Amino acid sequence: MSAHEIHIQVNGEPHQTTAPARQMLSDFLRDTLYLTGTKRGCETGTCGACTVLKDGQPVKSCLSLTLQSDGCTITTVEGLANGDQLHPLQQAFLDAGGLQCGYCTPGFLMSSFALLAGNQNPSEAEVRRALNGHLCRCTGYSQIVESVLKAAETLRGN
Amino acid sequence: MRDFEYQSPKSIHELCDALSTHGDDAKLMAGGTAMMLAMRQRLLSPARILSIGRIPELHGICTDDAGNLHIGAYTTHTTIAESRLAQSTHPMLSKMAGGLANWQVRNQGTLGGNLCYADPSTDPPGCLMALDAKLVLQSSSGRRTLNMQEFCVDYFETALQPNEVLVSVVIPPLPPGATCTYERHLKTPADHRPMANLSIVSWLDNQGLKKFRIVVAAATPFPQRLVALENELTNTKASEAMTVHAVRSVIESLPTLSDARADSAYRQRIVGVLLERHLPEHLN
Repeated sequence: MSAHEIHIQVNGEPHQTTAPARQMLSDFLRDTLYLTGTKRGCETGTCGACTVLKDGQPVKSCLSLTLQSDGCTITTVEGLANGDQLHPLQQAFLDAGGLQCGYCTPGFLMSSFALLAGNQNPSEAEVRRALNGHLCRCTGYSQIVESVLKAAETLRGN
Repeated sequence: MRDFEYQSPKSIHELCDALSTHGDDAKLMAGGTAMMLAMRQRLLSPARILSIGRIPELHGICTDDAGNLHIGAYTTHTTIAESRLAQSTHPMLSKMAGGLANWQVRNQGTLGGNLCYADPSTDPPGCLMALDAKLVLQSSSGRRTLNMQEFCVDYFETALQPNEVLVSVVIPPLPPGATCTYERHLKTPADHRPMANLSIVSWLDNQGLKKFRIVVAAATPFPQRLVALENELTNTKASEAMTVHAVRSVIESLPTLSDARADSAYRQRIVGVLLERHLPEHLN
């Protein structure tokens, strides 16, 4: 099996590892690092449940080889909370009912996090646009959008 | 997914050598969004992947002294959408890139990968054809430049040879006073791939004649420049009635696709709607 050594930082922690060529980033995160917050959903780039941040930008980890992240910084949903203290985005999803089964939530959180990192005061349209690479089959999106706007408000200190 | 060898050359020279050595067994990979999907579905099983991501020359956007915009093949759609340079020289291009697929794909997918994969249900090829873009291809025997009509051969087929790599896309400056339109039509707002799209660039030439580049894509196996319509609009002082007539005769001869997204007749109607919606702003 073809494999290569890579250096990758995940949630602030550096890793030096040998990754098989055909391993997907989602599989590396879940099966090697046991960071199972990142979900495998459709595995065809449609649902967005596997979204993580690569150098701060949302990407679909089911369509990305681990080797493509050599030298990169990855943030997963496990990187959001500070110990037991939920990130304001997570708290807002909880408070506004932005989830039901929760399977899609890690992906939504990661794109929302990247949006708010670059835009502290997004409009509803901007939130919807940022999240259009994600599918949720139970909440119905309204409360997800509301959660992100609520989190933005909290993060602005209002 | 079947196992494969993975190689990440650091220069175009090293990449071309690898292409010469491994021939058709090797497949080039840029962002990989489309390729990983094809491989996971076993539509593609290359023995070797040559990743082009570590070749500095294939990254980035710049202009030359003549005002041409050069975009490296490995430049992501997000980079194009957010480029101040592209926004100022070719706003139609950056706006198109900013609306392509979804945020995650724009962050990972590249212009070069998009063009070389030649999936019809996408945005960049038609837009670039209307902008008169040229493609710079390189192999170990040298470089050649093709225009978009020469490069886009058929459904999922380009003129790129197995030993070649797309290095950059070169877009000439817009003619002074040019009017530009790009519209994608999605089956539903949640869809990420256009069912049809229309690109129009029009301008007045030195003789005061109105010139056009009108391109329909996504509705057809590969982008179609509507030269007959362009000429008719240039040579006649087109009234609204004549425009409607010209549009009808053009769309009837378009080789529109029938697939799960829409059938051929529906796509023809949508193309007609797009043309009738946007041509008036180019005729005054």
